[in-house]
Order: sequence, then C-alpha cells, then structure tokens
Amino acid sequence: MSANDYPIFRRLTRMNMLASTLALVVACTAFLAYDVFLFREGLLRNLNVQAQIIGSNSVSALTFNDPKSAQSTLSALSLSSNIISAGISTPDGQRFAHYSRTGGAELVQVPALAAGNDEAHWFGLNEVVVVHTIVFQGANVGTVYIQSDLNRFYARVWQYVLILALILFASLFAARFISAYFGKAVAQPIAALSETAQTVSRQKNYSIRVMDSGAGGEVSVLIRAFNEMLEQIQRRDDELQGARVGLEKRVEERTRQLVAANRELEAFSYSVSHDLRNPLETISGFSYLLLQEYGDKLGPAGKANLQEVNDATKRMAQLIDDLLALAHASSTAMHREKVDLTQMTKSIKSELQRRQPERDVSFVISECVSAEGDSSLLRVVMENLLNNAWKYTSGREKGRIEFGCKQESGTTVYYVRDNGAGFDPENIDRLFKPFQRLHSKSEFPGTGVGLATVQRIIHRHGGEIWAEAKVGEGAAFYFILQPELAARQWA
Amino acid sequence: MSIARAQHCRTLLFVALAASVSFSFAQTKVTEYQVKAAYLYNFGKFVNWPDTQANRPIFNICILGQDPFGADLDGVLTNATIGGKRASPKRITDTSAAQGCQIVFISSSESGKLDRILPALDKLHALTVSDMPRFLDHNGMIQFVMDSGRVRFEVNLAAADTAGLGFSSQLLKVASSVKRSEKKGE
Ligand SMILES: Nc1ncnc2c1ncn2[C@@H]1O[C@H](COP(=O)(O)OP(=O)(O)OP(=O)(O)O)[C@@H](O)[C@H]1O
Ligand SMILES: [Mg+2]
Repeated sequence: MSANDYPIFRRLTRMNMLASTLALVVACTAFLAYDVFLFREGLLRNLNVQAQIIGSNSVSALTFNDPKSAQSTLSALSLSSNIISAGISTPDGQRFAHYSRTGGAELVQVPALAAGNDEAHWFGLNEVVVVHTIVFQGANVGTVYIQSDLNRFYARVWQYVLILALILFASLFAARFISAYFGKAVAQPIAALSETAQTVSRQKNYSIRVMDSGAGGEVSVLIRAFNEMLEQIQRRDDELQGARVGLEKRVEERTRQLVAANRELEAFSYSVSHDLRNPLETISGFSYLLLQEYGDKLGPAGKANLQEVNDATKRMAQLIDDLLALAHASSTAMHREKVDLTQMTKSIKSELQRRQPERDVSFVISECVSAEGDSSLLRVVMENLLNNAWKYTSGREKGRIEFGCKQESGTTVYYVRDNGAGFDPENIDRLFKPFQRLHSKSEFPGTGVGLATVQRIIHRHGGEIWAEAKVGEGAAFYFILQPELAARQWA
Repeated sequence: MSIARAQHCRTLLFVALAASVSFSFAQTKVTEYQVKAAYLYNFGKFVNWPDTQANRPIFNICILGQDPFGADLDGVLTNATIGGKRASPKRITDTSAAQGCQIVFISSSESGKLDRILPALDKLHALTVSDMPRFLDHNGMIQFVMDSGRVRFEVNLAAADTAGLGFSSQLLKVASSVKRSEKKGE
C-alpha cells in the first residue's frame, strides 16, 4: 500500500498544496501590485523628465516663434518607442509643434492646466498623458504634452502573471514532494493504526498490537494508548472466557445431578404407581366378587356403597395408568423416524368414532409433511390432543375437529383445532401442569395429566407447544418439532 | 531681405506664417516691429553679460538713431523684467549716451556710421542688434532678417565674443544662421 492510498495522506497533501497556492497567490499579487505601482511611478517620472527636457529645449523656439526647431526637439522622441504622440502649444492654447509615432496627426486634446499647476497626468486604458507648463524666467511660454502607450506596462503585467503561473506550478510540485516525504511520516502510523483497529474488530483478535514506527508525538501516544486498550480488552476477554468455561462446567455438573435426581424420582414414581396396581387390583377384584356372590345379602344401600368402591378403584386405575404414561413419556428411549401425523390423525379419528358412534363430529384433516420423531410418543401426543378435542366438543350438537399444518419461518407448525367448550385464555399457564384442569370433573371427566404428558414429549423432541382459546368458542393447540435440537434424546 | 519687402509684409499674420498649415491662427494682427520689439526684449534672456553689465539695476534696451518701433517697444516692455531686473526703453542719438545700455538697436539711419558705432558699443559690452542688411559683416551681433514673411535673425558669434558676450545655445538653435569665427566660417 503506497502512502498515496491513505485518505489522511491525501488530505494532508491537499491541505499543503492549497496552503502554498494561497500563500503564493497572495504574495505574488502583492508583489505584482507593488511592482505595477513602482513601474507606473517610474513611467510617470520618465515621461515627466522627458516633458521637462522638451519643454526647456523649446523655450527659445517658442520665444522666437520657431516651430521647426520645436519640431526637431520633439522628433527626438522617436527614440522612445512607447511614445504615441507629443505636442507643444503656445500659452494661448494654439498648437505650435507636434510629433506622432506613426507620422499621422493624432491629437490629444490637452485641457488647460489650472493656475499654479505646472504639471498633470492622466491614465487611459491604453495610454498615459503627461502635461507640463513650460516656464521660462518666471513666465509661462507654452505647454508640452506627451502621450505614451502602456504596452510595456502590460507586457510587464503579463510577464508577472506568467512568472506567477510558473512559480505556482513549480511550488505545487515541490509541495507535493514535500508532502510525500513528511506526510508519509504522519499518515503512515495513523493509517497503520486504523488498519489494525479494523482488523481487530473484524477478527475479534485482541492479541494484535500496533508497531510504533517511532513517529513520536501524539501519534506515538495514540498507538501506546491503543495497545494498552487492546491489552485490557484481551485480559477481560481471557477472564470472561475462563468464567464461561467454569460456568459451563458447573451447569453441566448440575444438569447431571438434576438428571440423576429426576431419574430416581421417575423410577420411584413408576415403581410406586406400579406397586399401587397390585393392591388396587385386589380391591377391585374382591369388591367385584363381593358384589357378585353376596350382592343379594347386602341390600340396596350396601350394593350402592360397594358400587362406589368399584368406581373409585376404576378411577384410581386410570390415574395410575396416566401417571405411568407420563413417566413413560419422560424416560422411555426415543427412536428417530419419519412419522405421518395425517395418517395417525385419521386412525385416531376412526377409533374415536367407533367408540362413540352416536356423536356427530366432522373432521377436517389436511395432508401434512411427515414429522420426524418417535412414532409411539407422537401417537401419545396426537391421541391426547384429539381426545381432548373430542371430549370438549361433546357439548356441541355438531362438533368439528381440524388437523392441519402451516409453514412459519421455515418450520412446520401443526395444529389441532376444535369448536368445543374452549377455556379462558388467562389460564393458559396452568394448562400444561399435571393435575391442573380448567373444567370440573362433573362437566368433563379427566385427571389433568394428558397435556403435561404431551408437553413433556414435545419438549423431548426439541419442540414447543402453545394454545389459543376462547370460552365457548373452541380451542386450538399448536406445536412444532425440532428433533435436530434434541440430539441427546435419540437412542 | 530688403527693408521695403519687409515693410510690405507688416500686415501679415504672425502666427499664420509661423504655424504649419494644419493650424489656423485667427488672431489680432501683429506688425513686424511688434515682433521685432518682442524679440529684442527676449534676446536679453538668452545672452550672458560680463559682470559690469550684469550688475546694473535696470535693464536698458536702447534705440540708437531714428526709432522704427514707435510705441511698440514701450508696449512690450511695460511691466517686463529680464533676469529679475526691470526692462526699460531708452532712445539715444549717439554712442556717448549708450553707457548703461545692455541691448542697443541700431536703426538703419545709422548705417553710414557703423564702423565707428560698433567698436564703441563693444567696449560697453552691449548687445548690438539691427535690421540693416550686411550688419553682421560689420561685426554687428544680431541681424533681423525676413524669411517668407517671418521675422528671423542671424547671429555673429565672433562679434559677441569680441564684446565679451555669450549666447545661449537655445538662441543659436533658433537663429536662421550663425556666423562663427572666420576660420570655421558659417
Ligand atoms: N380441546 C380442549 N377444549 C377445552 N379445554 C381443554 C381442551 N383440551 C384441554 N382442555 C383443558 O385443559 C385441561 C387439561 O387437559 P388434560 O388433557 O391435561 O386433562 P383432562 O383432559 O382433563 O384429563 P386427562 O388426563 O384424562 O386427559 C382440561 O381439564 C381442560 O380443562
Ligand atoms: Mg385430556
């Protein structure tokens, strides 16, 4: 990279050149003005002297009325090429003798000089006229004028302008070279600094340092400060890195502990649920036997009580099944495979219709792209969502259940929608917690474990589930599956 | 140039004769003797006199013999000065009365007595002027001549030298001819 490519260097050079140009123009203009002034004065002095000489040489000619002699005096002016014309007149203003460079009769109208004024001059655009009264022994014997062109004057001005242009040109060159020499010393370290700053911020590499080329002054201070800053950042960065590694380790440790504890808990609840089953089956079996063999002896009240015991054991069995399903959903090994949710929905629909053929529920099932996940767990999800939809539309004369999917920013969102009882959206938080129900048991039976199980499975698939609902207008459950985010889960 | 011819030209316009054709002078008429009177006075400004003459308080312009100027000379000399001295006309009939004259105009009436008059005036260091012909040949100093109607004059340097007078070069420049010492000729 040459010095020329640094913007700062270009700016410095431009500044230099501008400053020197300005200084030169001002100086040369001043010189020109001064010289023009001097030259003008010199020209005037010359013409005055010439007029005076001609005047005093023409005294006798005027006195003794000898125009020829005056003429010959005037003709000496032909040696001065700048003089256009000259003339001598008598005191009463009559032309006495005259000279013209071209030999013609160009005349200058010479106005009478004011009394007491022996000489005068005036400048035209291309000429200057000098007038002198010829005084001899105290008496005014005539007037002489000389008209000179300003060719030499203009030639001089032109010369000046030319020289100015030359000097300007030369000094601009000089300024450029000087800038190239000194500008590099200033611009290079700064440019290097800015380049390094860019590299650092681009690569996030705080171990880079700027070399101090020994420019001295503020630039060196800047470089030192910049390097110090980088060092501090690097130190912080290292500390941060260390802290993060520590944190990660701790989190991993905790997670491990947590997972272990969770396993224990799950194993415990599983075995409890499992162990509860045996006594429950005994209770259920024997209360059934009791009812069959001794029903007649119990009387109607006893029979009813026994029936109550039987129902309760059935509910408890259901609860235990649900808890086991939840535990199963949490702990069972998962296998990743393609799962056709549309097909699954269709089969669950048939099952539901077979179970309660009296219900009038229309299904709208879209053909959706296959999901990826564990097919038996996803079956649990779909069963729960569709069971809920079936259950909570039971109050509707014409139920309607919809399954579909839509693309949202690259991921497939599946949904199950119904036109059932719905719920108050304020309670959405409680929806997915076990044993939390938004409807009373008498209205809609259930244990409140279903959605908790569903959420557990969706989470294990790296996914998310959420709901929308309105009281009396139905509910919709949406979920996405991102099996690639749940890499640990796959067996 | 003869006097008769000169007389003939008295009425000619002075400036019209003097100037080149491109200038037309419409002025009051100037007579020959008015011009000569003015010249006579002006000669005083171009001549250097020895101290004896230069120290006089009054500059006398004398006319010897019959006066051809009449009032013209008095007109010219009214309030006139030469070298700071008042100029005054004086009419004399003889060189004995010429004491104190710086310029003496010798009338043509005196043409017969020139050989006596001029040496006497030389001794007085007076400038001798006349319009009689061949005045310079008699060692007169300045002689008026007529040149195509214009009054001009000739100068005899040798004669002025004899009387101790000097002519300014300016005067010589406008003289129609200058007679130097015999060797150089004219
Ligand atoms: N489709 C739906 N329409 C209206 N409310 C619903 C719907 N699905 C779930 N709910 C509400 O969410 C609560 C929790 O549902 P969840 O499936 O967990 O329990 P449940 O259906 O009552 O019992 P079960 O454990 O037998 O499924 C329900 O009690 C109900 O109030
Ligand atoms: Mg349910």
